[in-house]
Amino acid sequence: MNTLTNTDEITCRDDCTYMMDVPTRWNDNDQLGHVNNVMYYSYFEAVVVRFLMQEGGLDWMTDQTVPLAVETLCKFRRSLSYPDMVEAGLRITKMGNSSVTYSVGLFTEGNDAPAALGHFVHVYVDRDTDSSVPIPDHFRALYKRYS
Amino acid sequence: MTTQQSEQSQKRSDYPHITMVPTRWADNDLYGHVNNVTYYAYFDTVVNKYLIEHGGLDIFAAPVIGVAVETMCRFKESVAYPETIELGLRVAKLGNSSVRYELAVFRMGGQDAIASGHFVHVFVDRASNKSVPIPLAIRAALEKLKA
Repeated sequence: MNTLTNTDEITCRDDCTYMMDVPTRWNDNDQLGHVNNVMYYSYFEAVVVRFLMQEGGLDWMTDQTVPLAVETLCKFRRSLSYPDMVEAGLRITKMGNSSVTYSVGLFTEGNDAPAALGHFVHVYVDRDTDSSVPIPDHFRALYKRYS
Repeated sequence: MTTQQSEQSQKRSDYPHITMVPTRWADNDLYGHVNNVTYYAYFDTVVNKYLIEHGGLDIFAAPVIGVAVETMCRFKESVAYPETIELGLRVAKLGNSSVRYELAVFRMGGQDAIASGHFVHVFVDRASNKSVPIPLAIRAALEKLKA
């Protein structure tokens, strides 16, 4: 694992602290024959959600405190196309009282530079009031481990 | 108006082009809100529709097409199906081969954006994928959206 120094961006696989495979699907391609730009965000979301469930035990249906997306960004560097197998990676690059920033990247076989990179910001809220609340200790510890 | 300033002002009157967008049942995720990824589908749809209807873009045969190179969205308040929303569109920067659109989401008749972001297109030759100057008819249409 690299130490990110002067940038919060994911620049290679080693910058990631958690990765998963995301198979592209036929219907992800748009009329131009590339994966549509919107789908990149569903790949980002897939790795963030899987990370929270698998490593943090988040239960979307019953947890009283849940994370909501408040900002996302993507820089598109190379096009993806079905049937590419995409590796989606993340690393925690910023943690506040109630918000956390995941830097994210998408990779394809044979290339260590990301095809796309960006970030995903979650804020923790109370599920009933929608008001922001401190990140639960359990998740705070998880985020430190994956920084 | 600089890009920085224009991004700070997100009143309905700051966007010269407004499009009504009906949400769909499947846009809601398990929080009961429109999923964050779907906002980018609204952005993509509004931008392309403007280019088709006002810039004469032929998405089936045009030799020059717009490719997304960066997109971003900040989510302030949630929306949910069956709301109909309104999307505001303006041009913040018009370069030789690229354009930066700024978009905002409003509730029907709302004056303040509940989500806002940007979308950068670079125009490329469909066959070679190399960037080329923005076609004149499209440039003329984009000039009208300058904030």
